[in-house]
This record gives sequence, structure tokens and C-alpha cells, in this order.
Amino acid sequence: MVKKAHLITGKGGTGKSLFSVVLAHYFSTQMQSILLCELSDPSFFKDYLNLPEITYKPLSWKPNLDISQWSPENCLKEYALHLLKIESLYKLFFENSVSKSLIQIAPGLLDLALLGKMTSSPRKQGPAMPYNQIVVDSFSTGHFLSLLRAPAALAEAIPFGPMGEQSKNIDQYLRSPDFTEVHILTLAEELPLTECRELYQQLLTEFNIKAKVYLNKLTAISLEDLVDLPEVAQNSLKRVLNAEATARLQLQKAQIDFVELPLVASIETETLVTVLSNHLKVVL
Amino acid sequence: MISLKSSTKTLICIGSGGVGKTTMAASIGVGLACAGKKILVLTIDPSLRLAQALGIKTDGELHRVPLNLGANTNSGGELWSCIINHKKTFEWFIRSASQNSDIEVLLQNRLYQQLSGRLSGSQEFTALISLYRFVSAKEYDLVILDTPPSQHTWNFLRAPEKISALFNEGVASWFREPPKNKKGVFRKILNLGTAQVLKTLETLTGSFFMKELSAFFGAVQKWQAPLADYVMNCHRLLVSAETEFILVTALDSSRIIEAQKLSREIQKQGYYLTSVIINRIPTWTDIKTINPPSQEKKIKSPRVRELLKYHESLENDLQSRLNQFKSSLKVYKCFELSQNTENADDNISNLQKNYNSILAVD
Repeated sequence: MVKKAHLITGKGGTGKSLFSVVLAHYFSTQMQSILLCELSDPSFFKDYLNLPEITYKPLSWKPNLDISQWSPENCLKEYALHLLKIESLYKLFFENSVSKSLIQIAPGLLDLALLGKMTSSPRKQGPAMPYNQIVVDSFSTGHFLSLLRAPAALAEAIPFGPMGEQSKNIDQYLRSPDFTEVHILTLAEELPLTECRELYQQLLTEFNIKAKVYLNKLTAISLEDLVDLPEVAQNSLKRVLNAEATARLQLQKAQIDFVELPLVASIETETLVTVLSNHLKVVL
Repeated sequence: MISLKSSTKTLICIGSGGVGKTTMAASIGVGLACAGKKILVLTIDPSLRLAQALGIKTDGELHRVPLNLGANTNSGGELWSCIINHKKTFEWFIRSASQNSDIEVLLQNRLYQQLSGRLSGSQEFTALISLYRFVSAKEYDLVILDTPPSQHTWNFLRAPEKISALFNEGVASWFREPPKNKKGVFRKILNLGTAQVLKTLETLTGSFFMKELSAFFGAVQKWQAPLADYVMNCHRLLVSAETEFILVTALDSSRIIEAQKLSREIQKQGYYLTSVIINRIPTWTDIKTINPPSQEKKIKSPRVRELLKYHESLENDLQSRLNQFKSSLKVYKCFELSQNTENADDNISNLQKNYNSILAVD
């Protein structure tokens, strides 16, 4: 049974996808069986990890580590089939062109389907998931918050019936620190930092979730490293170092614990994953 | 500087999150306004710094941006800016399409409130209707849109299609019922198949949801035709020959690959994607132009050497991939904008510098 769901978020470009792979890889080396899920369609991991097609059905990537792509439509289908139990009835509904468009536009339905799948194992809804933990490469900050808000919003709008009940149930698991863990990635730059701080606060006040924060892609250099560089380069790097110092200060001031991650100087995904996964062994 | 077709009236910046689309949209806006054009920049969620630079508030209103750049500024140019307010825009859209007839029922509907407010996916649509609204007003030489942050650019391009489904005759007709009919919600169902489908939906969601959904479509059906027309016009605007797309990306292998795939697909679909900008290239690593490569050996810090090497491999990787962009695309580079100025006026000139520094790659 899935004991924990790790949701990775942060502003675009902060390194969510790579970190998701790294975290999943790190857990898998700790004798945990892990499912890494991506929500992007078309698949990002396919090219990034140089894998054949990634689908809803998990693909074995490394020992203890499978990958799958969760589209909300697939999640909804699985749930519907589980609930309806009659294949022909399900087909009648899901293969009808009008209901296809209805699913696309019914507010919150797809968000709910996604979170339903994510929490399905402890809620004992849907097929069994033979993993200890799941790692979800989730949406960027704004979209992430509206995703998390969907169950409560729907439970409020639709208080009665199966959808209302499911929404409340899903919402409970989202708010349970034993089950849901949110990881926010940020860079030492204004916009990602602001989004990170705001999301951290919002998660704390609205969901009572204390997110883990990672300050990513740090240069890991100091002023002494700069001396041999031309002046123009020095000045520009000094600005970067300043921004990094400011970022640390701002996070401390906001009383946010954070883990520092260095920029790994490689363009090979395999190297990035190994180096950062080893780094996590030290810092986590 | 970037070269646009002279006939272009709409410029849409696309690209994945964090590549600097918003700043790029603003830079192009400042650059062209300084060259004497009347420009409107529509943004979604600018950084505080950028909002301050443009002197705008998040109230969804139009603001004129002062361009105090001295003698170099062409006095005929104007820069306008607006941060799209989603809820307001959605309401404006419903009001204008319904010609201000009674829309309170719809505005009060719980599903409408979810659709227009908290739930995801509606940002793309409000961005698009704002764009159409300002372009069709014909008050600007060019309207620049910075697309919303989303998992994928397709979300934005598919917004008309998705929203058309909402006003699709088929869906609405399922839920249509004469107002006097109190017996059953779905009495006027056309055939047994539809009945089954609705019953399935009810099993999945519950009768309360179905009632809200039914009320929603009931409220919407009156303006179905004008709404559908409007959405169709939005779509026409996207594929118009006077609309140009530019793709902003970053110096990173996976992003470049993504950009290549996207650019091929987007051109295939009939949109006028003309340029790709590889944005936010760090300035300090371009050491070769500052010093001869032999200098590199003199650098003692192993980490700095490592980082220099890393950027060199990024650059080489980019060079090896450049020929995979279609030849009809112009590829540009743009360097990281230094962010050390606190003064808003300096920021405007910074944006202008940024625009001027956009470099064609050949």
C-alpha cells in the first residue's frame, strides 16, 4: 500500500522534473518501492530519461523504481470502471463524444480525478498500487494550489452525493502530514522565491501542510573563486552571489527551513541524477 | 532586436515556465514603443520588479507606461500595459456576449463560480478573450500577449476548442428542460443513449452535481450562439496571418528539444511561428569574447573552471541542435538581464537595452 505521496512543485524552470527523478531515485536506493509519476502530456521523461513510451501503466526503470504518466482522463476512467463495474456502461459513457467534452469542461472534475488517483491506495478506492511511496512531478505553483483546492471547493459546491463524499475524503488525505508531503523548489531569483514563500505560507495556513523547500542550482562558489576572472565576469558573478545570499536571508526571515542543492555542472541526465541523489543522502 | 512582419498586429509569446516570457514581452513592448509604435502589453503574472518597472497595478485596468528615455525616444510612441484579471474578464465576456440581459442566475451558479475563479484552466481562456478584445478595438499598432504559465503551450492554443465544448449545442441540449417541468431534471432527453450517459454521470457524481450542471447549461443556453461566435473569432485571431508567435526558451538541452518539437508541431497546425529566442544566457561565462581562451588556464578555482566548461558544453549542445530548427524560423539569443537597478526609470531603460541586445543567430 502507498504510505506516502510526495508532490513536487515550484515555479517553472526551478528544476521540478529533475528533482522528482532524483527524489524517486534516492528513495528507491533506500529499499523503498517507488512509483514516479509525471502529469505532463506529452511525456517529458520519455526524452529526458531516454525511455520508450511512458504510459499510464507503470514502466520499470530501475530496481524498485517504476515510472508512469498520469493523465486525469486515465485516472477518471480507472475510477469510473472501478465504480461502475460494467464495462459496457463505462464504454457507453466514455466513448461518447459529447460526454468527452463534458468531462473536459466540468469544473474541477479532472483535478479531482488526479488527486483521487494519488490518494486511492490508502482510501482503498480503485486497483491496488504495489508501491511504498509515490513521487509526483506536479504542476507549477499557481496551478498546483488550484489543484489542491479543488476537492474542498467541490465538496463545498457539491456537498451531497458520491462526488461530494469523494471530494471530502480526498481532501482529508491531502491535509494529512502522514500521507502528503509537498516539496517546493526555488531558485535564488526574485520570482521563484516570491512564489515559493507565498505557496509555503498558503499551504501552512490553508492546509496545515509544512512543505519542504529546496534552494536549487546554487553556484557553490565564493568571492575568492572570482579573483582570476575578468572584471565584467566578476561583476556579473558577484550579482549572482548576492542574489544567493539574499535568498538564504529571505527564507530564514520567513522561518522556512530549506535544503541547498548545487548546480550540477553536467548536461547528462544520468550524471545529474546520480550526483544529486548522492547529495540527498548527505543532506536529508 | 527582433524583426517582425510589418503587417503583424498581434504578437504572442509562448514557451514553458521560467524562461522569461513576461520580461521578453515587456522588452519587446518597450523597444517598439521607443521606436515610435503604439504598443499594448498584456501580461498575466509579472514579477514585482517588472510590475514596478511598468508602473502598473494588478487591477485589470489599462495603464499608460511613461517612457522617459530622453532624446533617443521617438515621441510618437506609446506603451500601454494591462495585467489580466481573470474573474473580471470572464464576467465581462459573459456580459458582453449576453448583451447585459439577466445573467445573475449564471453568475450565482456554483459551477460558474468555480469555472471563472479558483479552478485551473480558465486562465488560458481569459487571456485569449482579453487579447481578442484589445486587438479588435484596433487602437494599437501591436498587441503583445504573454501567455499564462501552464504545463504546456497547447493548453493555451486549445482554449477556444475547450470552451466551445461548453457552448456546444449537443451538451446543452442534454440538460435542456422547460422551466415549468418540476418532475424530472432530465425529462426532455432525446434518446435512450443520452439517458444512459446521464445516468452514468449521475452515478459517478451524484444528483446534486447534476442539478448544478443542469442549471448551468440552462443559464448559458440563451447566449449560446453569440458566445460560440465570440470563441470562433478568438480562434480566427490565433491563426490569422497578422498574428505572429515567438517561442521563448532557455539554454538547456531538454528545453531546446522541447522547443524544437513544439515549433514543428505549432507550424504544422497553421500558426505563424516566426522566431525562437534562446533567453537568459548568462553573461559571465562568455569568457572567450572577453579574453583569449588561454586565459582560462589561469583560473585557479576548480569550481569556476567546472562551471565554465559546463556552459561551454551547453553552448556546443545548442550549436549542434540549431540546424534542427526549421529554416523558416529565425533563431535569436538574448543574454541575462542584469537586475541590479532599483529605480523604476532605470528598469525601463534596462528593458530597452534587453530588446536591443536580442541577437540573431546564423
